[in-house]
Amino acid sequence: MLSNGTLLEVRDLKTYFRTDDGTVKAVDGVSFKLQRGETLGIVGESGSGKSVTNLSIIRLIPDPPGRIIGGEILFAGQDLLELPEEKVREIRGRRISMIFQDPMTSLNPFMKISQQLMEMTQLHLGHNKAQAFDHAVRMLKTVGIPDARARANDYPHEFSGGMRQRVMIAMALSCEPELLIADEPTTALDVTIQAQILELIRRLKQETGTSVILITHDLGVVAGMTDHVVVMYAGKVFERARTRDLFGTPGNPYTRGLLRSVPDPTAEQGKLYQIPGLPPDVAHLKPGCPFAPRCDRVADICNREFPPFVKLAAEHYSLCHFAEDVYRDRQSAPSDHSRHHSNQGYNV
Amino acid sequence: MIESRRITEVIPPPMPDREPLLSISNLKVHFNAGTARVVKAVDGVSLDIFKGETLGLVGESGCGKSTLGRAILRLIEPTSGQVNYRGRNLSTLSAREMRDERRHLQVIFQDPYASLNPRMTVGQIIREPLETYRLARGAEAERRVQDLMETVGLSKRFVKRYPHEFSGGQRQRIGIARALAVEPDFIVADEPISALDVSIQAQIMNLLERLKREKNLTYLFISHDLRAVRHVSDRVAVMYLGKLVELTGAKRIYDEPLMPYTRALISAVPVPDPIVEAERRRTVLDGDVPSPMNPPAGCRFHTRCPYAIRQCKEIEPRLDQIKPEHLAACIRISPSQPDIERVAAGEAPGLNS
Repeated sequence: MLSNGTLLEVRDLKTYFRTDDGTVKAVDGVSFKLQRGETLGIVGESGSGKSVTNLSIIRLIPDPPGRIIGGEILFAGQDLLELPEEKVREIRGRRISMIFQDPMTSLNPFMKISQQLMEMTQLHLGHNKAQAFDHAVRMLKTVGIPDARARANDYPHEFSGGMRQRVMIAMALSCEPELLIADEPTTALDVTIQAQILELIRRLKQETGTSVILITHDLGVVAGMTDHVVVMYAGKVFERARTRDLFGTPGNPYTRGLLRSVPDPTAEQGKLYQIPGLPPDVAHLKPGCPFAPRCDRVADICNREFPPFVKLAAEHYSLCHFAEDVYRDRQSAPSDHSRHHSNQGYNV
Repeated sequence: MIESRRITEVIPPPMPDREPLLSISNLKVHFNAGTARVVKAVDGVSLDIFKGETLGLVGESGCGKSTLGRAILRLIEPTSGQVNYRGRNLSTLSAREMRDERRHLQVIFQDPYASLNPRMTVGQIIREPLETYRLARGAEAERRVQDLMETVGLSKRFVKRYPHEFSGGQRQRIGIARALAVEPDFIVADEPISALDVSIQAQIMNLLERLKREKNLTYLFISHDLRAVRHVSDRVAVMYLGKLVELTGAKRIYDEPLMPYTRALISAVPVPDPIVEAERRRTVLDGDVPSPMNPPAGCRFHTRCPYAIRQCKEIEPRLDQIKPEHLAACIRISPSQPDIERVAAGEAPGLNS
C-alpha cells in the first residue's frame, strides 16, 4: 500500500526497444517516487532514457519497436501497466497531462487554439460548447495570454514560441491534472522566455497543488524548480536524492562530473572540468558500470561488476561501487584537471 | 598538449592601443521580406575585434547575432558598412579575392551535421580545404589530415568514416578540424555548443580554448548561452534586435551589467545551485522579443524595459562609453550616473552628455 503522500511510484521499470542493432534497453530498472505537490526532476543527457521513462508512465511507447517489459507504475495506488488502454486514455490528459519541448508539434496547426482547449474539457469534463469556451478563455488568461478572448480564435502559428508553450500549459492544466509531466519544456525557448515559463509553472503549481515531473538536461533549471532529482545515465538511475543534497553532496562520479562541467559565471575558472569520452551505445553495453570508461573514480571492479545501488542517507541513493567515498569526498575534489588531459587527443 | 596546471591567467582588459584584427563599422544587413517590408537583421553595428581575444556575442533568437557573424565573413552580403581585416576593406573585394581572404577567416556552425557533406568521409572533408587553397596534396595532405584529427581529439582510425557514424560532439570536432585545416587567424564560432549534451559542451569549450592558445586564434563566439559566453570570452557584446547594446569585459558584464536588458538576461539564467536559486530575486521580463520586421522606435528594448520613460520611445540611444572599457546604449545612464537604479525618475542623463 502506498503512503498517503505518494502520488506516483515507479518500480523497476524496464522499457526495451527492438532494433536491427539488437535490443536497446532504453530504460532498465528505473525506480522512483513522487509525493503529492512535489516536483521531481529527471536529468540526463540524450539517450539516458529520461524521455522514454516519461512516455512509459503515460503508456505512449510505440509498440513495436518499443515495449514495457517489466515493472510497475503505481499512480494513486493503481498500476497503470495493468490497466486496459481505454482506462489509460481516461487518465491521460485528465489526471496526468504532458507538455513537450516543441509546442508546435503538439498543437494541431489547422485548429484554432480555442477548439484545441475546448476538446480537452468537452472530452474529459463533459463541458458543453459554451462552458468549454469560457473555460478555455479562463485558462489562457491564467497562463498570461494577453487579450485572451480575442486570441483564443487564433491559430497556433500566430503565436510566438513562448506563447505557444503557454497555450500548451493552459491545455495541460485545463482539467486540473494531479500530475503534470513537462519534458524539456523550455529547451527551445530563449532565456528570458524560459524564465517566464518556469515562473509560470512555479506559480501554477503553487496555486493548484499539481505534482510535476520535470525532465531536463539543464542543472540550473533543476536547481531552481525541483524538490527531488533522479539522475539517469544509460537507462539506469545513477543517483536519486533531495535536490539540495544532490547538489551539495553528490554521491556519484557522473553527477559530480556533470555539476563541475557547467561554467560558474561567478568564478574565474580557468579550464573547465570535462567528463571525457562519449555516452555509451545502450544497444551494446558491456558488463560492469556503463559509466566506467568515462569515470574519474574507476577501478578494476567497475569494468567487471555492475555497481550496487547504495543508500547514502535518507532518500539519497547512488549507483556506484564507490558511492560512499564519493559522497564523503566532496571537499577534496580530486585531481580533476590533471587526470583527463592525456585523454584529450583520444577520447573518442 | 595541455598544461595540467589550472590556467588562471588574468584576462587582459581590452587595450585601446592594441591593433584590432577586424574592425567593423556601421555594418548593416537588411533583408527584403515581400513588398516594402524590410527586416533590419543587423542595423548599424560597429565593433573592433582584437588579435588573440575571444569576443562573445550574446543575444536572443532573432537579435541578428548569427547574421552579424556571417556578414563579417560575407557569407551573407552586408547591405552597407565596412569590415576591415588587416587594412583591407572586405566589403569591396571581388568574389575571388574574398575567397582567398576566407582562408584566414573561418566559421564553425551550430549543427555540424548540416554543414558536413554526408557523402564525404571525414578524411575527405578535412582534406578538401587543403586542396582548394593548394596548401598540401598527396601524402603531405594525408599527414596533415591525420594531425588535424589528432589535434581535435578524433582517432585517426576514423578517417574513412562518414559523418552519420559520429555523435554530435564528434561531428563538431570534424567541423573544427576542417576550419583549422587552412590555418586561419579568425574563427566565427556560431553557437558551437548549443546542440550538444552538457558533458560534451565542456569538452568542446575546452578544445576551442586550447586551440586558441596553441594556434594564436581570434574568435567571435556567438551564443545565446550566457554562462558559456562568460566562460570562454575575454569581452562580451550584447545584441538586441539588430543593435549592440552593451560591450565590456566578460567578468564585468556579469558582475556589473549596465543595461537593463543585460541585467534581465543574466537574471534569467538559472544557476545550478538550489540554495542560490531559492534566494535570488529574479527580474522576469514581460513580453516577447518584438519582430525585427517592425522593431520599436527609439530604444528597441523600451517595450520590455522596466525603466523606460517617454524619451526612450523616441530617441535612439547611441552605444557610448559609460565607464572605462564599458559601453552601453541607454539614455537613462551616463558616465556620471552609470547606475540606472539611482537615476531619478523620469531623468535621462545620457541625453546631456
